[in-house]
Amino acid sequence: MIRTLISFVSVIILSTSFSALAKTKVTWSMESNADRDPIMIEKLQNAYNNSQGNYELVIEFEDNETRLTSMRTAMIGGMGPDIVETPGPSYVKEYHAAGMLENLDSYAAEFGWKDKMIPWAYSSGVFEGSLYAIPKTHESMVMLYNKTLFEENNWKVPTTLEELEDVAGKIKAKGMNVFSYGSDGWQPTHEHLVGIYLNNYAGPQAVYEAIIGEREWTDPVFVEALELLKKHMVDEGYWSGSLENYYAIGWDDFHAQFANRGAAMMTIGTWTFQATQLGIGASDDEWGWAPLPSLSSQSPDPNFMIAIGTTMSVNANGKNKDGAIDVLNWIMSNKDKVLDIAKDFEFGEMVVPLTLSSSDIPTDIAPQVQDYLSEYARITGEGNYGYCTWTFWPADPGVHIWKDMEVVWAGDISVEDFLYDHQKMWDKARKNGDTLPVPLRN
Amino acid sequence: MKIFSNKNFVAWYFVFPVAFIHLFVIGIPSLASLALCLTDWRGLGEINYIGFENFIELFDDRYLKKAIINNVIWTIAFLTVPVGIALTCAYLLTGIKRGQMFFRLAFFFPYMLASVINCQIWKYLFHPIHGLGGFFERIGWDLLAVSPFTMKSTSLFAVAFVDGWHFWGFLVVIYLTGMYQVDNHLYEAADIEGATKFQKFRYITLPMIRPVFVFSIMIIIIWSVPVFDYVYILTGGGPAYSSEVIANYMYSQAFERFDVGYSSAIGTLMFFYVMIIVALFGLFRKAGWDI
Repeated sequence: MIRTLISFVSVIILSTSFSALAKTKVTWSMESNADRDPIMIEKLQNAYNNSQGNYELVIEFEDNETRLTSMRTAMIGGMGPDIVETPGPSYVKEYHAAGMLENLDSYAAEFGWKDKMIPWAYSSGVFEGSLYAIPKTHESMVMLYNKTLFEENNWKVPTTLEELEDVAGKIKAKGMNVFSYGSDGWQPTHEHLVGIYLNNYAGPQAVYEAIIGEREWTDPVFVEALELLKKHMVDEGYWSGSLENYYAIGWDDFHAQFANRGAAMMTIGTWTFQATQLGIGASDDEWGWAPLPSLSSQSPDPNFMIAIGTTMSVNANGKNKDGAIDVLNWIMSNKDKVLDIAKDFEFGEMVVPLTLSSSDIPTDIAPQVQDYLSEYARITGEGNYGYCTWTFWPADPGVHIWKDMEVVWAGDISVEDFLYDHQKMWDKARKNGDTLPVPLRN
Repeated sequence: MKIFSNKNFVAWYFVFPVAFIHLFVIGIPSLASLALCLTDWRGLGEINYIGFENFIELFDDRYLKKAIINNVIWTIAFLTVPVGIALTCAYLLTGIKRGQMFFRLAFFFPYMLASVINCQIWKYLFHPIHGLGGFFERIGWDLLAVSPFTMKSTSLFAVAFVDGWHFWGFLVVIYLTGMYQVDNHLYEAADIEGATKFQKFRYITLPMIRPVFVFSIMIIIIWSVPVFDYVYILTGGGPAYSSEVIANYMYSQAFERFDVGYSSAIGTLMFFYVMIIVALFGLFRKAGWDI
């Protein structure tokens, strides 16, 4: 009996080992997140590995900052993972310029990737006419609000600047903060707010013209937009009560503040949906969302800023390029599997920009998220979309927009001087060919 | 071949492994960095020679100037506050016979903690909601309502305070060691002459621990140049560059803006600054200073 059992176990171990040996390894360096990693292992790595017998996908999780540095070093040395994950097109641009990424044109044509993706998202990975990256996650900025609190007080969800300032006054009178948000732990948070004010005051068309070089960033409309942001941030203390508190408050705190009625609203990206659902969603209050209010007559219609959160590329010096292509194609071809992963994150992560119909939207996610997905598709489909800084700004002006905004808020330089510097950086980036792909506007 | 078996050459056998590692870990990267400062390299791809363009840009960079000024303020702060407190405490500790080890351990303890832990402790203490500010607010006091790390006027001093709090215990230990080397007969003679405690400190202790004291001044000046971790963790150089220092600015240029050439130029500037300080101390030694 024991002999039979030992033989049985040996056969299983040997067959498993041989099947693993038969597969060639495909490596993917991915940003680590304690909540997300197990899902990625189960629903991406294992699901892919079980779907075929040629390749074995191995996801290596690492803290993003360390990961980006070590991946960069490895790639300079002609090594690195087979699938290169970056935080956005500005990183792809750098790798592409260095010749470190595989041209994906032939694979995109062979597998029909272009037809499967939202057009603007596809074009965000096109550099010098060829595809080098596929978005792993696309996202936008929204305004969350405490629906129960708004109903109790008969407050109207603001859609214009006047309504925003009116309701802000009422919220402050109740001893609450207008918006819950802060930059502790992630200084680039400032660019979320700058992007909102540029797009919703100056309007997406003006921002687009500035990105493609047909309008200067020193244009009065941008000056006014950032003056308004400064007024709301510094003078009015809309975010967490004061500029200093906004600097002191991080992710957990601002979610807690929103959940416990310390603030009535929150300006944030859609990556927050899962955390919101776990925070205020678990309290007695109900949350709602709305597009960010129009802040001037130049941006009258609701719009969603489009953005890429993370990208996937193939390492030109990778050991298993065919395997990497196969993994990307598996993602592009298995909409149901990808949606199943995104569902676990309430569509805050792994939102691959595949074209969806309304029947594709899962029904077992938060109703607010279902509603958002429909509205996002409708409004952006009508051409009402703006531009997030971390997707369409080259590296140098991209850092300037958040790092030096603090200098404006501190009153050390004027908005005009800030935008003058900003324009100089864009001129330099344009001269050096560092600008990023931007979808044509109708 | 005889030279290799020479008695005087034996020491080199022991030094060689360390020197070899230093050559690869410090020597070659330093030389590469010196070369990169004359290029526009962005960390990936082509490296183009651009002459002294980075240095021309350096002298026109208002935030680098701000960082340099902050480094100078930082150095002055460290040369005064922790040194003053450490000297006083070390001197007072020499007079304590029972429980001295407890104080020595207590003062030295923050130095043993990782910078991240020290920073988190103080960040939490000054947090407007969870920290002392929140506590005072709950009992009706308007105290520490705003974190000093997030105010432009206080951020640099707040970071220097935390770093100083971690560092001064180390100074206490090295001063105390120096003080124990002082010949006790000198104090006995001073007692017979009726010297006060301050006079004994001024005319016996301080001159006798001069080598240790000057060494501490030298390391403070040198260590103040690449100060990075406390600034990076607590404020990231903000708000509005108010706590920006050269090393953090250099990091930002290299890893946020991907301007490795420019970042190397800043590094070169720091290298020459440190070399000047070391050379100055070398000159003092040659001039007969006991250091």
